[in-house]
Amino acid sequence: MARFLRPESFSAATEDLSLLPFNFERAGANQYLVANMVGDFVRLSEEELNRLVDLQVRPGDGLYEKAYAAHLITGTNQKAQRQLLAARLRSRMSFLQQTTPLHIFVVTLRCEHSCPYCQVSRQSTDRSRFDMSEQTAMRALDIAFASPTARIKIEFQGGEPLLNFPLIRKIVAAAKQRSGKKLDFVIASNLALLDDAVLDFCKENNVLLSTSLDGPADLHNKNRPRPGANSHELAIAGIRRAREILGPDKVGALMTTTEASLDRVDEIIDEYLEMGLDGIFLRPLSPFGFAIKTKQFAKYDAQKWLAFYERGLRRVLEINRQGTPFREFYAALLLTRMLSDRPIGYVDLRSPAGAGLGALVYNYDGSIFASDEGRMLAETGDDAFRLGHVEHDSYNSLILSDKLIGAISSSLTQCAPECSTCVYESHCGADPVYHYATQGDALGIKPLSAFCARQKGIMGLLLDILENSPEDAAIMRRWAAA
Amino acid sequence: MPPAAKLPAASPVEVTVDFDSSIQSLSALDAAAYRLIGTATCQVDRAGDRYVCRLVSSTNPQKGAVLSSNELKERFLNLVADENLRARVAEKTEGVRNVILALAFGALAANQNDAG
Repeated sequence: MARFLRPESFSAATEDLSLLPFNFERAGANQYLVANMVGDFVRLSEEELNRLVDLQVRPGDGLYEKAYAAHLITGTNQKAQRQLLAARLRSRMSFLQQTTPLHIFVVTLRCEHSCPYCQVSRQSTDRSRFDMSEQTAMRALDIAFASPTARIKIEFQGGEPLLNFPLIRKIVAAAKQRSGKKLDFVIASNLALLDDAVLDFCKENNVLLSTSLDGPADLHNKNRPRPGANSHELAIAGIRRAREILGPDKVGALMTTTEASLDRVDEIIDEYLEMGLDGIFLRPLSPFGFAIKTKQFAKYDAQKWLAFYERGLRRVLEINRQGTPFREFYAALLLTRMLSDRPIGYVDLRSPAGAGLGALVYNYDGSIFASDEGRMLAETGDDAFRLGHVEHDSYNSLILSDKLIGAISSSLTQCAPECSTCVYESHCGADPVYHYATQGDALGIKPLSAFCARQKGIMGLLLDILENSPEDAAIMRRWAAA
Repeated sequence: MPPAAKLPAASPVEVTVDFDSSIQSLSALDAAAYRLIGTATCQVDRAGDRYVCRLVSSTNPQKGAVLSSNELKERFLNLVADENLRARVAEKTEGVRNVILALAFGALAANQNDAG
């Protein structure tokens, strides 16, 4: 009588299996977090991990299925998994095809605020020599339009850019006259000087507004002093007016965490909710400009900030569970990377770094920097990330400069100590300017890096919620899919 | 591979661990020492056929509390074990990693009509 062979007869022999590349990290007693080449996570026991590396797995033993599904093993002669991983990797990195999509114009360094955490080292309003000239602006536009990407975003910064609003008008008009690229415009303003003329201009030219809102009035005004002590009042009025005239999706707000913010994350989030904003970006202080001079940056460490962040994220999730859609934007960014293969070119979360390749910054005096933080360093006397000047440089000479290539190539996470074997590498980024500012080296020693500690802390938190809190995980999966 | 642990140092925040240099790679010790930065320093010396690793806890550690000598030794041995495993994974997967990278970005990226 004909009989089927035993199940083992149909399975691949162990010698027909190959290991695929992966990273891992010890994640507690007898547990490892493992990530495949595109950052899909799986948890294995120590015994499972050792069996996997020795390829002591058989169909039906559970580990074989787990490892196959997680792209940790493949059939030696099977091409499909290799091609799938390659296609996913190519998709994840395809932000590199859009070279320098962001161009930041510092139209003035003047500002009527005097924030102690300011990263820019602003100048007082009466010094018009800190305004960008029209000639400088037009040369900067030449360079921006020479970048190969089909769509560019022009962001106006300061100081307070509305103090040089006439130049913004000229730049927008000149950019729109040039053909060949799709254009987006953003004004990063404290909104204290917002008036109907600015709003009409923004409406007419589809210009977005990005502002600062640090929380309730007392906290915001403490963080952001100005004559009259009414920064919060003006920001709130500006956001309301801009939402009314331009539409709710045309104005966004960012917060910066100071020491005074650490115990008040619920109030800060509630302030954003009351304004009808659709989310919040919980941001730590950056180690630049006045934040260093006034010692604001040194007032809390990564662990304190992570505790603040976790409280905030859990509060945001609670708001969602109660029926109000509201996102924490940094978590949404990371989740998009962790749960999809969409190319995320966010300048601080990519390797190769976003300096120059993601953004160029044209300072008021014509100097060009690889990032906004690079020009902040220069304001305190360090030209490490100054790439050139609008008068005598072209797009190509800037992008191919030894300084930029050096900073990017020396900071690649794909081959950096610890980073290259880090389980979170697929979702993290090189931040050469941060590490240069804090450690004097573009690569940095990652075990001493607060950037590294924050990244690992947040991604660990997100994984914990995804694995252990089904209702919150469903909310976060929606953020990643948005 | 189980290393031969030796003699805790006199101070509670100092410990010495040594390894047989014929079976333990220096690069894995270096990588483990790197991951220990901020928690402890690690000085690696060669003494005959042994690698001698002298660990000294940081008095003001970047991560967590100051470790006892036993905790420090355990942490380091775990890091070394993990680095040894990483080296094995890297050795076993180097070829296929290069193939995947070539398929994604290199010479093979434009020629993928031979799906298996």
